[in-house]
Amino acid sequence: MNALEAVRIALRSLVANPLRSFLTLLGVILGITSIVAVVSVINGLNLYVAEKLSDLGPGVFVVSRIGIVPNREDFLEALRKNKPLRLADAAAIRERCPLASVVASEVHANAEVAYRDRSVERVDVGGIDAEILRIEPYDLEVGRFLTPEEVDRSASVAFLGWEVADKLFPQLDPRGKRVRVLGRSFEVVGVAQKRGSVFGHSRDNFVKIPITTYQKMFGSRRSLNVSVKAPEEAALEPAMDQVRAVLRARHHLPYAAKDDFGIVSAEGINDLWRNLTRILFTVAVFVVGLSLVVGGIVIMNIMLVAVIERTAEIGLRKAVGARPRDIRLQFLIESVTLSCAGGFLGVGLAFAIAASLRAFTPLPAAFPLWAPLLAVALCTTVGVFFGLQPAAKAASLDPIEALRAE
Amino acid sequence: MTEEGGNGSRSDGPLIRIEDLWKTYAMGPVEVHALRGMNLTIERNAYIAIVGPSGSGKSTLMNLIGCLDTPTRGRYFLDGRLVSERDEDELAGIRNRQVGFVFQTFHLLARFDALHNVELPLIYRGMPVEERRGRALEALRAVELGDRVHHRPNELSGGQRQRVAIARALVTRPSLLLADEPTGNLDTATSLEIMDLFDRLHASGNTIVLVTHERDIAARARRIVALRDGVVERDEPTAAPPAPAS
Repeated sequence: MNALEAVRIALRSLVANPLRSFLTLLGVILGITSIVAVVSVINGLNLYVAEKLSDLGPGVFVVSRIGIVPNREDFLEALRKNKPLRLADAAAIRERCPLASVVASEVHANAEVAYRDRSVERVDVGGIDAEILRIEPYDLEVGRFLTPEEVDRSASVAFLGWEVADKLFPQLDPRGKRVRVLGRSFEVVGVAQKRGSVFGHSRDNFVKIPITTYQKMFGSRRSLNVSVKAPEEAALEPAMDQVRAVLRARHHLPYAAKDDFGIVSAEGINDLWRNLTRILFTVAVFVVGLSLVVGGIVIMNIMLVAVIERTAEIGLRKAVGARPRDIRLQFLIESVTLSCAGGFLGVGLAFAIAASLRAFTPLPAAFPLWAPLLAVALCTTVGVFFGLQPAAKAASLDPIEALRAE
Repeated sequence: MTEEGGNGSRSDGPLIRIEDLWKTYAMGPVEVHALRGMNLTIERNAYIAIVGPSGSGKSTLMNLIGCLDTPTRGRYFLDGRLVSERDEDELAGIRNRQVGFVFQTFHLLARFDALHNVELPLIYRGMPVEERRGRALEALRAVELGDRVHHRPNELSGGQRQRVAIARALVTRPSLLLADEPTGNLDTATSLEIMDLFDRLHASGNTIVLVTHERDIAARARRIVALRDGVVERDEPTAAPPAPAS
């Protein structure tokens, strides 16, 4: 009940002077707001990446000309040295890598897609073989996917992303209609279900056509992405090694030379992502630490002022039997209450920020439920740490001197 | 609650026994002796006024009797217990149980109502809320403030404030009421009212030690101890004890 009273005292003085309280707690508010906001964004991105990575299932990796390159120099070097991947490379992988149980090729270009007087610009036109279905299955809205037979005979058939179909055929059933891609006419065989967007980039703005047909239109110089699936997740690394060996042999690379192609797996993307968030988190912790220290010092200052203002009260409390530890506890509870009040405001602010990020930007932000607990823990620590000195000062006051202070 | 002298019928001896008490302050290189070998005995249910000019050691003696301070030398027995060699926590406990302070400036907590001010000492005793509320109410009624329980100090007159402070001193049922210039901030009529209250408290068994420099206030006590230069100069009963007001 004594503790409750200390909490009440602290809250009452906070409410009595809102502006001063706000300024006092600003450091703590900012610190908690930023940590919770950053945690929300990272948490949201994590959920997103996890969802995105589930497209690239376990045991799957993608071989491409460049891959994921950590810096500009390596990127330029890769551009200069790496050879485009060809269908022959994919065929070699399929033939000579026993652990490559599925090998699918895909190649991309941006083009306009039109139906009668309607058109959609900058559509991702993908030339694929039907194997891709065994790696990245498309859920069907209507119709069907491309068949291996259509790929083999370079048929003029197209499978549309949800957004393209929606724009070209707002009311019509697209099946059997003919769309134009770069002047060539394709019969629509099916439409994919809506997949949403990542970071504001639509994942429904595509057209898939047979890779053979694609190469007739765009030529075969463009590099392929070759998706490879190992028979099980544990076989991912050995499968990568086999593919690497086959491609290096085909490209006549000397023993010491770097790969002239890139290999990306869900694991690799995950690693990259973890590194990124670790950096983000480190920066956040630094910023938060700084503002919590500043906030703590301000709270310490306010508490020192309170000890001076309330010297007579401390004297009286001691006279009627408060022990030094009772006084210390009272002032510690007050500083923790102050600090936690700032923390709760910060959590509220961060919640609002997360909500508006979700509503107005493509950044996914998911407010984790443990964030308020983290905030309370941090604020309690700050309150105790920076309250110790004022509380000790109050506890050590001589009651006779203190009573005289009024 | 006022019919008994409080907690302290621990022994049959005097309530306070002070033997050769010294208090020395170091003022830079100079040592100042506030008390120089003081001896004093106060019986149970005494009503005693301590008087003397400033610098005579009045305040020092009061702080020592109230266990707010420890002597440099000598022994102080309160209620049969040697309290001159206790540590801070023990002294806090003794103040809480044995001593009821009444101050010239009342020392009420402005943010809280009369009830909370009065129950404050019991909070530090760790008494459950129901019981201590009851005791605080009882004490407020004893000083005729049963109808001002939820008033804050700034909503009370000077006399009422001092009566709240007296209720706070009584609520612990102390062995000793220690009043330091209790009427110093009050007008004459209110002073009389407060002194009448002290008379009644004395009549109902409380031991009262009054520190004052006002002759007519001191005259209300049964015994006057006059200090000078840190020792007892005179110690005599008052000529004609006034009849209790009620």
